[in-house]
Amino acid sequence: MSSEDAASWTLAWRLARRELRSGVRGFRVFLACLTVGVAAIAAVGSTSSGLTASLGNDAREILGGDVAVRLVQRPAQQSEQRHLGTTGRLSGSAEMRAMVQSDAVGPNGARSLVELKAVDDAYPLYGALETEPRLSRQDLFGRRGELSGVAVAPQLVDRLGVSVGDILRVGDGRFEIRAILAHEPDRLAGSGIFSLGPRVMIAKSALAETGLEQPGSLIYYTYRVALPDSVDPEDWIADLNTEFPDAGWRIRRLDEAAPQIRRLVQRVGLFLTFVGLTALLVGGVGVANAVSAYLDGKTAVIATLKCLGAPARLIVRIYLLQILTLAGVGIIAGLVLGVLTPFAASGVIAAFLPVPVSTGIYPGALLIAALFGSLTALSFGLWPVARAAQIPAGSLFRNLVAPVRARPPAVYVAITAVGLVALAALAVVTADDTGLALWFVGGAAAAMATFRIVAALIAIAARRVGNLRQPAVRLAVAALHRPGTPTPSVVLALGLGLSVLVTIAQVDGNLSRQIREELPTGAPAFFFIDLQPNQIAPFEALLADIDGVEKTVQVPMLRGRITSIAGVAAETATIDPNSRWAIRGDRGVTWSEAAPENSPVVEGEWWQAHYDGPQLVSLDADVAAGFGVGIGDTLTVNVLGREFTATIANLRHIDWQTLSINFVMIFSPGFLEAAPRSHIAIVHADPAAEAEIERGVTNAFRNVSAVRVRDALETVNGIVTGIGTAVRLAALVALVAGTLVLAGAIAASHRRRVYDSVVLKVLGATRRNVMTIFVLEYGLLGLVTASLAAIVGSIAAWAVLRFLMNIDWVLMPQTVALTVIGATVIILAIGVVGTWHTLGQKTAPLLRND
Amino acid sequence: MMDLPDPQQSQRPDGATAAKPIVELSDVHLHLASAGGKVNILRGLDLSVNAGETIGVVGPSGSGKSTMMMVIAGLERPTSGTVRVAGSELATLNEDALALFRRRSVGIVFQAFHLVPTMSAVENVAVPLEFARIDDAFERARASLETVGLGDRLTHYPSQLSGGEQQRVAIARAFATEPNLLLADEPTGNLDGDTGTQVIDILFERAARFGTTLLLITHDRGLAQRCSRVVQLRDGRIVDHGNTPP
Repeated sequence: MSSEDAASWTLAWRLARRELRSGVRGFRVFLACLTVGVAAIAAVGSTSSGLTASLGNDAREILGGDVAVRLVQRPAQQSEQRHLGTTGRLSGSAEMRAMVQSDAVGPNGARSLVELKAVDDAYPLYGALETEPRLSRQDLFGRRGELSGVAVAPQLVDRLGVSVGDILRVGDGRFEIRAILAHEPDRLAGSGIFSLGPRVMIAKSALAETGLEQPGSLIYYTYRVALPDSVDPEDWIADLNTEFPDAGWRIRRLDEAAPQIRRLVQRVGLFLTFVGLTALLVGGVGVANAVSAYLDGKTAVIATLKCLGAPARLIVRIYLLQILTLAGVGIIAGLVLGVLTPFAASGVIAAFLPVPVSTGIYPGALLIAALFGSLTALSFGLWPVARAAQIPAGSLFRNLVAPVRARPPAVYVAITAVGLVALAALAVVTADDTGLALWFVGGAAAAMATFRIVAALIAIAARRVGNLRQPAVRLAVAALHRPGTPTPSVVLALGLGLSVLVTIAQVDGNLSRQIREELPTGAPAFFFIDLQPNQIAPFEALLADIDGVEKTVQVPMLRGRITSIAGVAAETATIDPNSRWAIRGDRGVTWSEAAPENSPVVEGEWWQAHYDGPQLVSLDADVAAGFGVGIGDTLTVNVLGREFTATIANLRHIDWQTLSINFVMIFSPGFLEAAPRSHIAIVHADPAAEAEIERGVTNAFRNVSAVRVRDALETVNGIVTGIGTAVRLAALVALVAGTLVLAGAIAASHRRRVYDSVVLKVLGATRRNVMTIFVLEYGLLGLVTASLAAIVGSIAAWAVLRFLMNIDWVLMPQTVALTVIGATVIILAIGVVGTWHTLGQKTAPLLRND
Repeated sequence: MMDLPDPQQSQRPDGATAAKPIVELSDVHLHLASAGGKVNILRGLDLSVNAGETIGVVGPSGSGKSTMMMVIAGLERPTSGTVRVAGSELATLNEDALALFRRRSVGIVFQAFHLVPTMSAVENVAVPLEFARIDDAFERARASLETVGLGDRLTHYPSQLSGGEQQRVAIARAFATEPNLLLADEPTGNLDGDTGTQVIDILFERAARFGTTLLLITHDRGLAQRCSRVVQLRDGRIVDHGNTPP
């Protein structure tokens, strides 16, 4: 920077300060827009940071140890357990789904699917198990007379009407309810927020009494280890893997304590950030409008300064510094709000997410929000500033100082472009999911371009309408295109805000429809898990005797983990994020001689009947694409501690939405047949028969768990609704920003409105006539904007559902209609209220002055 | 540090030389395009003004007086012809150089004063000095306001000043950088008779003190007669160059 430049910045700052002394009256909308946008982003960032920090701070307690080792369908062998316990303290537990029933009711009484957990004496290694009443471990679970103790979650008390002291049937065993569970420290490490039933806890030593531990039963055995400080967990894990390379266990570290919730927080946080960013973009339009309006009032000053020898560059600097200073105020206000939000939101979040929010100041989240705010202020504020600097100084001689509407010089256009690109880049770089962020940026840019083009088209159309016979309509239509009309900014800002709302409403609506209406049609009534091979025949016989049972399908199931893909270890293989779920934890696997009916082979050939060759596998086509593998490649899977490799023989298309029994991997018969296994069965039935089926099966086979599909979907729906509400609330922020822009645009055109109404009154119009014109103008504007937002929002919803969620999109006419009508009414109301007092304007003073 | 080059120094009226022109317009044309076709505002102006002269510019509305002044101030570029002011050929200067030229050589007083409403009187006067990066800008601004009789109004804002006071601030501002050339466009147009006279007295007094060349646009023939020469415009042409003083 040259010395003249430096002096010029100093001088510009001095002059900017002088102008700022006169207050921020013209900048209320500017400040509000930036504050709202920055607050939204800072709030989302702070809240998700707070949740993530909680997960981090409490990681030991959530995981239940420094390292957790999980096996499915088999407990650790003696040698493995010995090794696990050598270095630190060891605690083992077993978790499974089971059916429980109050002993007080007969075989027809109510029962419930529960998440059963059997813990040893060392449990928990970190944190405390809290019950009501507080009891010693012996009193809680120990034998008293013939019965062992059980602790149950409060939800079970509500569901079965049991209380402390009652007898509870768990599988084959009878247990005495000794206490109600108040806090289970490692609750989140298990099924996370998605659980099929309330928690029931017993001693591990009493598990045998339930009769649930059968060969091949779907039981998760978890061994948590508390390591001394001197031992590095990574070294410990490396040692474990060396010692037992084929154990097939899933090892979790502290940073993987609650992966489901962590992912949920990240995902919801990302969506909310996008909504916040849209609010900021909408605010950006408000920023540009406010700066334009402010500078319109400064044209004479700018011309004067130029007459006194100020070059255009200095003018740009003077006003840019003012804008940035005020932006700083708005951003700081937004950050303060953002910091305070987690404090206020923690109560609401606690209602559907069992994680405390670690409230505090998260500099990273705030810095990102401040950067977004600054870039928005610069990108949207520089353009009008640079344009104003083009005001010809000579206009002062003509007493005709009119705002300039020309394009600013190329350098400022370039800086604006760089600012916008930086804004987009920041959105992409700071997002956890780059692909999604790119979609958002592209979508936002396309939406902004669409609204801008449509605004121009509206103006052209209004101009072309020609002379309408109704004067009020003619004047209202003319107002849409005359110079200084708020049409472009209102269409752009409110259009964007409304589009977000329409998108979210439609995505949410479609998800709920999917869960409530479409899935249950054709979905089975029950999943029965843990059927033993010798129970299959009596199970089918029992169902055959029940009226209303339409169809029963049962297949053997084992659990297996993919350990390597085409010879590359699964952890290090390059996998599309959308297919990563397939290597996370264990998956159900089965074998079959014949191709399944509901998932057609799309590539390759199914193996021949009585195939007896090397192990083959049929893989889900989408997962294969995500893995980057095809026919002839190999997959290595660990089942029950044994690894085996199979060659991919064919790919199937699986429609997961049908809720039938679908397996990512189906193996050729052979190896798996010899392994201990259980069966999974689905039963399609008339809803009226559901109670009898559940009762009949669980009475006859106490080790079998019945998962009511309707209940499971209800649980999912509850989670989706909770998230939908959060995102919808955030969308309202975008709408608030849009409304601010509308209010700002109306305020900016206030002088013109006063003039209009005075001139119209002079020409003989009544107040009613004038009001009719305003109502028609804003009604037209609102209707056009809202209709366009409905279209853009529907397209965005379609894209999100189709490409991100793989769900069919159905137009929700009610949602769209509500949005269009609601938005039109809002625009109309704000427009009319904003112009109401212009009606009372006395004509004489205005005419005298001018 | 004073950063005001003074190329016309040797021609100050207190010296003997007044012959070298400070303003030279030669065959200046200005057309503007309008919806109704081309409008000829200036149709071949020729004018030469010597340093230290005071010129009254008269003519009916629309005759091109203000446009001529804008051309001289470098605020409007002519369609053709040459404009040389204070030694600079204006056509060769870009926007920034023109700003620098005005800062150094030209002061302007408007009919509507055009003070910056958010700045106090002293700040308004200091602005051009600050542009010129003069260290004691405020000292000079204060002194300048005292000479126009506004020493007690330094911190008043334009809205707190009468019309005459505002125009005196404008004059102080125009003379603050001691320009070679002062352009005044109907400086009394918004003022009553007595106030106008006071303001004009100050204007001439200042011009005489600094040896500033003064171009004064006015509708007032009597006021124009106070100048050393009266130039008359009609339809974009100079119809009377007045008597050039010896």
